[in-house]
Amino acid sequence: MSNTEGKTKKPKRGSYFKKSFFSSWLFALPALILMYLFIWRPTVMGFVWSMFKMKGYKPQYFIGMQNYIEVVKDTQFIPLFRNTLKYVLWSIVIGFLPPVLLAVIVNEMVHFKQKIMTFLYLPAIIPAIAVSLLWKQMYDPTSSGLLNSLLIKMGFSPYQWLNDKNFTILWIIVSMTWKSFPGAMLLYYSALQNVSQDLYEAATIDGAGMIRRAWYVTRPQIMGVLILNFVRQIIGVFQVMEQPLAMTGGGPDGASASLGYQLYRYGFVTQRVGHAMALGTIIFVFLIIITIFYFRLNKKLEESL
Amino acid sequence: MSKFENKTTGLLTNVDLKGTKGKIIYWFFFAVLIVCCIITLFPAVWTVFTSLKDPKEIYTSTKFFPEHLSWNIFVTRVCDSWNQLKFGRSILNTFYYSIVQWVIKLTVCMFAGYTFSKLKPKGSTMVFALILWTMMMPGQMRMVPNYISYMSFPFASKTEFGIGINLLDTYWPLWLGGAVDAFAIMLFKNAFDGISNSIIEAATIDGAGKLRIFFIIMVPLCVPIIIYESIMTLSGAWSNFFGPYLIIQTTTKQLLPAKIFLMGNDGTVKQNTYLMGLIIGSIPQLLIFAFFKKYIMGGINVGGVKG
Repeated sequence: MSNTEGKTKKPKRGSYFKKSFFSSWLFALPALILMYLFIWRPTVMGFVWSMFKMKGYKPQYFIGMQNYIEVVKDTQFIPLFRNTLKYVLWSIVIGFLPPVLLAVIVNEMVHFKQKIMTFLYLPAIIPAIAVSLLWKQMYDPTSSGLLNSLLIKMGFSPYQWLNDKNFTILWIIVSMTWKSFPGAMLLYYSALQNVSQDLYEAATIDGAGMIRRAWYVTRPQIMGVLILNFVRQIIGVFQVMEQPLAMTGGGPDGASASLGYQLYRYGFVTQRVGHAMALGTIIFVFLIIITIFYFRLNKKLEESL
Repeated sequence: MSKFENKTTGLLTNVDLKGTKGKIIYWFFFAVLIVCCIITLFPAVWTVFTSLKDPKEIYTSTKFFPEHLSWNIFVTRVCDSWNQLKFGRSILNTFYYSIVQWVIKLTVCMFAGYTFSKLKPKGSTMVFALILWTMMMPGQMRMVPNYISYMSFPFASKTEFGIGINLLDTYWPLWLGGAVDAFAIMLFKNAFDGISNSIIEAATIDGAGKLRIFFIIMVPLCVPIIIYESIMTLSGAWSNFFGPYLIIQTTTKQLLPAKIFLMGNDGTVKQNTYLMGLIIGSIPQLLIFAFFKKYIMGGINVGGVKG
């Protein structure tokens, strides 16, 4: 926002609170203590303890990379990793573009704009866990599920939905997209609202048609938000855990189990706590790589503008 | 059609919309949106109708609408489901949890934002950068270490001396862990940055201390941001599933989303009751949305997501 104001007055910055170093920090102290206890320390300890032999939830002695080796050598690891990538890929394929396009279209509307926005926003209001369970009911393989009852009405035979090994992940992603697209749409919409009218008008005078305006005016203007959301989506979906837990329990035959779900099982179901933390560190490393990649990309983008 | 003339220039211009081609494109867009609205509304409508059906009817009839529907049946269905699901206690719990969460989170984050925006003691820029970094940290890594530390809080793990408080099965881990949010701190910092320094200077000359300035200047000038963050915190608390599910074990302390999840695992709950449970579970959030729609739909602008 108006960061610039603070910058122009730089010499005066903090001048009226000169002698109060400690009392100034006092205001931020609760936040810093909580951040230390709940975010910074556990992140570090997760890494440290991933190299410890754990007995229950108690660290025993240092064992080096043993936990990592056991996690990676687990026969489940490669399939889990593949599943997680499948989640990410499907979510990019079907979850990334629709909110962008919808935001662009809504931005063009003059009829019932507010009503349409409200209706479209509905899924975002429903709690995530209720959405998962609702879609589980809709995917019900018997005729009582919504989608199967529709199929039957149209004269098809009922389909297995979540029990179909090859596409379980796709169906879970469909439900996640249904839940999350309104939020993303709103984000893009507010970015579009900030695109200057003059740019469109100038482009029109230069003879650019609709598609050219979309590509040369709209796209560069919202590129920053697009990339940010793209990366956030990858990071979010890479850690998917609640949805397989609530909808399939990782099944059928582990076809929808993700790394995050496995971490939950290691940590709280099968009590292999050291493995859970090793797996957490592996996930962490992957996501940090993606984050660094994002910062690189963002820097390039800012330079090109 | 006169509405077209008020349209601001975007992908479609006023001139485009006078021609047939432009109109076709516009109404095609409109149709796409209607289809999307149906996709979002249809499951919700189905949920409501199916929750009002008789269990037998669900399996025998393929009709979309419930066959028998009257006010009495509606009341009976709601009461029966309510009695079977026993959500009352968990709704009260969640209400209590969300209010305390709201107070703690806003206090902590606003004070932090105040420090980083206006007080700016030495080193604050660096610490703020560190806080922003935590936004990019995947949360899954700290799930298990956090759980371990809750067993003998505030120590990292159980020590030999047996000191430290066991926070499991209380709301404290949720409240304290949910209180720090790098995004909220950034939001408040940005909002406070927008307040002119000269007002603060004037107040300082008049002898106001830091705390006083915070309450008489910063808070009243940032009401929209406070409302936005309040909505986010409250609706977040009402949909927080995984943390409470892990931490709270006593049935009487259970929060609503975890209760909904447990309902999903309960084989005795019939489909109509199950869907009714989902509706009941969504009502608090629907109410929040209904009251604060204006702030939610326009809220992200206030936050100024940097892009």
